[in-house]
Amino acid sequence: MTSFGTLFTKDRIYISNQVKQEDVFAEVYQDLLRQDCVTEEFLTNLLEREENYPTGIALAPVDLKLPNIAIPHTESQFVKTSGIVPIKLNNQVIFHNMIKPEEKLDVSFLFMILNQNGEEQTGLLAAIMDFINSCDKDELVTFFNTEDPAELFNFLENNFKGVIAND
Amino acid sequence: MIRILAACGAGVNSSHQIKSALEKEMKNRGYQVKVDTIMIKDINQDKLEHYDIFTQIANSDLGFDIEIPVVDAGPILYRIPTMAEPVYQELENTIKKLDKK
Repeated sequence: MTSFGTLFTKDRIYISNQVKQEDVFAEVYQDLLRQDCVTEEFLTNLLEREENYPTGIALAPVDLKLPNIAIPHTESQFVKTSGIVPIKLNNQVIFHNMIKPEEKLDVSFLFMILNQNGEEQTGLLAAIMDFINSCDKDELVTFFNTEDPAELFNFLENNFKGVIAND
Repeated sequence: MIRILAACGAGVNSSHQIKSALEKEMKNRGYQVKVDTIMIKDINQDKLEHYDIFTQIANSDLGFDIEIPVVDAGPILYRIPTMAEPVYQELENTIKKLDKK
């Protein structure tokens, strides 16, 4: 079991005012680079991967009240740690649907995955979806609308169950 | 033994979630299944020849025709049983057609 404390840190939670995907990625990348969490090539590869293999997920199948999310990530060689980076978007940003790539989604929240260990730690996406499925949906709507990083962190700390390796 | 290749963009999170879900569910249904994972950009015809079924998250243009059965497994990522069930059923139907336990 990977604990909450190893997945989330208070200084890796972001609120972005950007309106374009590449600008959101660039903003977060600069800080992740400063924290030595990613390599200099991370941004280029993240953008390339998102264009070719998009990561938007429509949450309407879970609950119609929920906004759409995206789970951007790239190969382990461009990452220096493992964890999940929550990014609240104050403006909806267009992503393409992971399952139906031709479909555009207005996305309000990102869970960026940093996966340094490749096959050794692959339950991060599963843990995010389990978090979304298990939360009270009205509370989750409030969470997705929160613009205070400390409140985002506290909600995750109280509700995120963690990762079981090779679930 | 049924050999399945699961592909996603980075070859880690999404494809591994599909791998663990398919191996667990097909074992419960009485099938011997081994799922390998791969980045989509690393797939070629030679690699696919070693597998019975290809599972993908979304339709991707590989640049060549896929000769083995393809099952779209993207809905598994939601981890909602009612969304995953049709994928499992399609995979089981595909395995039955292979006539290979």
